[in-house]
Amino acid sequence: MSDSINTETSTDTETNGEQTVTTASPSAETTAGESDERVREEWRQYEFAGDAKLSVENLDVWYGDDHALKDVSMEIPENSVTALIGPSGCGKSTYLRCLNRMNDRIKAARIDGSVELEGTEIYDPNANLVELRKRIGMVFQSPNPFPKSIRENISYGPRKHGDINKGLLARLFGRDDTEKEGALVERSLKQAALWDEVSDRLDDNALGLSGGQQQRLCIARCLAVDPEVILMDEPASALDPIATSKIEDLVEELSKDYTVVIVTHNMQQAARISDQTAVFLTGGELVEYDDTDKIFENPESQRVEDYITGKFG
Amino acid sequence: MSDAYATTDRLVSADSNVYDRGLDTAIALSVIGFTLGLVTLVNLVPPGASGSALTTALGTLLAVVVGAVGITGLASYTNVVPVTSQRVRGIGLGLVVSTLALTALAAVLPVTMATLLGIVLLAEALAITAAGVSSRLELVDTEPNMSAGLLSGGALGAVGLAMGAAVGGALTGSGSLLWLVGAVVAGVGLFLLAILPREDLGSTLPTAIVVGALGLTIVTGTIGVGWQWNPQTLSGGFTGGAVIPVFLLVGTLLSAWSAAKCRAGFGARGREYGAFLVINLNAFLMVAVMATIVVFVTIKGVGYAVHGLSVGALTALVLLTPALLAAVQFARTPAGTNDWNAGARQLFRVLPLAAIGALAAMFASVLVTGTPLRYAYDYTVQVNRQGQALDTAIAVTPDTSIGTLLLIAPALLLAVTFFRSFGSLRNVGTQSERADSVRQAVPTVVLGLVVLIGFFLVFGPAPFGFPLNETLAFAAVVAGSVAAGGLAVSPLVGVLASDGPTLAESAQREAPLFTLGVFGGLGLLLATLLLQPVAGINPRVGPVNLVPAVALGAAVASLALATLTTVAKRSSEETITRRLLTEETRLGLVGAAGFTALVGLHVAVTGTSFNVLGVSIANEGSLSWPMVMQAYIPLGAEPGGIMPAIIGTVWLVVGATLFAVPLGVGAAVFLTEYAEQGQFTALVEIATNALWSTPSIVFGLFGAAFLIPRLGGDESLLAGMLVLGFMLLPLVLITSRESIKAVPDEYRDASAALGVTQWETIKSVVLPAAMPGVITGVILGVGRIAGETAPLILVLGSTLNATAAVDVIDGFRFVSGPPFIANDALLTASASLPTQVWAVIAAGVSGSPQMGWATAFILLMVVLTFYAVGITARTYFRRKLNYE
Repeated sequence: MSDSINTETSTDTETNGEQTVTTASPSAETTAGESDERVREEWRQYEFAGDAKLSVENLDVWYGDDHALKDVSMEIPENSVTALIGPSGCGKSTYLRCLNRMNDRIKAARIDGSVELEGTEIYDPNANLVELRKRIGMVFQSPNPFPKSIRENISYGPRKHGDINKGLLARLFGRDDTEKEGALVERSLKQAALWDEVSDRLDDNALGLSGGQQQRLCIARCLAVDPEVILMDEPASALDPIATSKIEDLVEELSKDYTVVIVTHNMQQAARISDQTAVFLTGGELVEYDDTDKIFENPESQRVEDYITGKFG
Repeated sequence: MSDAYATTDRLVSADSNVYDRGLDTAIALSVIGFTLGLVTLVNLVPPGASGSALTTALGTLLAVVVGAVGITGLASYTNVVPVTSQRVRGIGLGLVVSTLALTALAAVLPVTMATLLGIVLLAEALAITAAGVSSRLELVDTEPNMSAGLLSGGALGAVGLAMGAAVGGALTGSGSLLWLVGAVVAGVGLFLLAILPREDLGSTLPTAIVVGALGLTIVTGTIGVGWQWNPQTLSGGFTGGAVIPVFLLVGTLLSAWSAAKCRAGFGARGREYGAFLVINLNAFLMVAVMATIVVFVTIKGVGYAVHGLSVGALTALVLLTPALLAAVQFARTPAGTNDWNAGARQLFRVLPLAAIGALAAMFASVLVTGTPLRYAYDYTVQVNRQGQALDTAIAVTPDTSIGTLLLIAPALLLAVTFFRSFGSLRNVGTQSERADSVRQAVPTVVLGLVVLIGFFLVFGPAPFGFPLNETLAFAAVVAGSVAAGGLAVSPLVGVLASDGPTLAESAQREAPLFTLGVFGGLGLLLATLLLQPVAGINPRVGPVNLVPAVALGAAVASLALATLTTVAKRSSEETITRRLLTEETRLGLVGAAGFTALVGLHVAVTGTSFNVLGVSIANEGSLSWPMVMQAYIPLGAEPGGIMPAIIGTVWLVVGATLFAVPLGVGAAVFLTEYAEQGQFTALVEIATNALWSTPSIVFGLFGAAFLIPRLGGDESLLAGMLVLGFMLLPLVLITSRESIKAVPDEYRDASAALGVTQWETIKSVVLPAAMPGVITGVILGVGRIAGETAPLILVLGSTLNATAAVDVIDGFRFVSGPPFIANDALLTASASLPTQVWAVIAAGVSGSPQMGWATAFILLMVVLTFYAVGITARTYFRRKLNYE
């Protein structure tokens, strides 16, 4: 995979321009006249104080012949919540998966451009994927705990990374980290606001939890490896309103210590929890990126306004 | 239709539901008839049986039916297993009534089995006619459609066609085409009779005609037991013995369908119930075939297989202990809410305990009184066409010796259960100075012993001509035993010497010592034990047998430890402490079992028995089972047994599994997880499927021509293992691949997103999730290869009536050149169960046919044991994946 990646940031803007025009046409069927709108560079510029945790430059993704993401550049500030919104198929999940190289797992995907985590290029051919994914964790759309106990789910990552040793040999050598594991499990579950509900059944199978609890367990599992960035791909879309509000509270709480990037279909959710919002529209282009308040109250782009007010998408 | 009774002007009301009960009985009679048809088909009771043979058979059936229905009824009455469906209750009652009627009929009238079956069919025909007509006359409330439908008509027409052709052909002889006329008339007639009238007549009358006709031909003797028909156009012929059961199977299936439709009042519900019953009987047929085979082989083989079985009472008691414990546990579970039948439910729970307890009391009484229990039955063996009485006495003797295997096996089981639950605790063991100091010494001591063992292994017991074993080995054995004993006792001492405020506190504080004491002690003692034979020294040090004595003492100490922690646990309030102590109790039990196992291992390794408190622990226990535990005795009065063949088969299966499972699972992992789906994987798939469909004899030929010249040039156990492994490989590959594919991608994504590498993901998430499927494949494959005969004749050598078993474990030898470890036993020919059966029964080589059947019975048992092991493993993994 890595050999197909061009780490130099210059991309072929002419080709990109052409494709933008051709693929923008499907949106014409929604409201007449809007397809004429050209995305302006300044809409996508977002100025913020402090350092960028992640900076993405000229990112393009193809799935086979399908140009899924077009020349996206954006900087994501530290310790904040960044929401990615847009209609289905607009490339926001693709974009999210590029940030910790999960797209490497899709054989047909071809990625071009640059993503830097605190100034280090993650698409460097020599990049350490294990280290990268330890630093950038991910929570998926549908809760996916392992068919193991709650405790094992949480300690899975640290155990595989060798941070926690358990078992007969560890005990014979006096290196048993059971206590450390217990502390880690407790801390992660408390961070994910799940501790009170499961503290008395940590050895039960995680599949016995409810959907909302499973999703918070997945968040706790992600937190257990101590990441800096947490990517969330519609984490509440499969949950009921109560579970959703718990997840939302959790995201706000997490943003104090972590950089959260969240994809959501629910615009109220984005408005409630995010600090800044990026809007992707059909065709895989980033249309507008700004403070959440600005996007929801006074967007520059007509298409974004239509999308947010529900006229389109 | 029971809900429609209320109308008063009907014949049938809710108070007297003759219609319903009658049809329930008719359905039950069909089921009984179907069963009897199967029984007759496999000749368990021949169609010509009459008199006492028939009444005995039916009496047995009656006993089974009454027993099953009675127990179910009682269980339902006491709400243990509630049966609420009126239909099921009715059929249960009907089963009893119809079996009772049949038995009475057979006892009163001088009928044969065949006639009785004919009567069953006639009764069925009458019952469904009555039901159909009373429905048509609106005597009962039903909801029939306007017609029985084309499908039913077609099926009945086809039956009519076949019957017409057969009757026509039989009457007119071949040559003329008149049979065709008969076929068309009967077929079209039944078809029209089925589709033209209203459904209640259409689905009863034609069925009744067919069933009645079948019944009449049997009852009138038109087709009797001695009947034979050889049509000139066919090379084969039909006999009454084969045709009558088939008539019965067809007739009862039809009548069951029809009666079920009547019972549910026709219409949509009728079709539903009719179809349900027919497909149910199909499924029943599946079970029945399996049961029939097992029963048939058992009846033929068990009498010989268990002759002369004898067991020491103490051994029997030890063997009974798990069942006894389980029964106690079962009896202790509360019977639930205190309603009126809680007592009855409690009775159900106490019954197993009573039965097993009585058995245990019997064995104990043998020990106390010294009088053996004996049971003998008559059995005649055909040897050289002459009947010979067999000494069949089965006995429980007052023998107090215990076989080593009995000590070693439970330890393994306990270790498995321990490791299953190991490490699920959160606050195990804070650091302990005592433990640290002990820990530092253990590796040195174990290393020293291992070095010594290696030294003696390489240079022999008396290296360079010096009697080193006399001094060095003795010293090492003494030191090792003492150190191991000290280690084993250290947790006990540690807890008692600890200055914790409570016993529970002390136990928790010294937790690290527990692991060290048990496992360190076991490891040390094992190394010491192994040193003895390697150094060639007498295991007896002075007046005592040091190693087993220490092991026994350590076992007692571990047991005391387990008791101590249990007591401490009872006194503690804290959940965490209680859970910690639960694990330490388990550790203590593992120690007790492990040290006991070492006593057994000592006896097994050194071959000298060990006596303690009047109990003798010996290599040969007091269990004696000639057929299973003896080799063939060529010129003895008794022929002996087939132990070599059993051992051969077990080794073959073990070897083939060890060969095929890692390869198959590995390949499956590569193909599903790593390889790109493309031409290569397609090629592998084709190759796998081709391998799976390759005839086994071809595998055998390949093994004989390719493997054997490369494996020492002679037929051998290793060649057999490899050939069976080749046969097992494709199935393991296919099933593993399917089950790995079925593991959701979400697990892989989740693991990758945590930064875990692909191989780690496969190892700890994908494979465990795929495990049940993999095991299913292995179970199926083992079932196939365990009974494989053809290739084994070619590669294993058809060693018949072997006088000695291959000794694989003892066969391992260290050699100075590559490959350094050799095993001659693997390269010798061996006996195996399937080839033994084949040779005795099919090829008629020496040995009585009874012995062949007994061998087949044991082969079946061996395969079923493999099944049981596999299914237990699969259940375990499934449960672990879902809700523990």
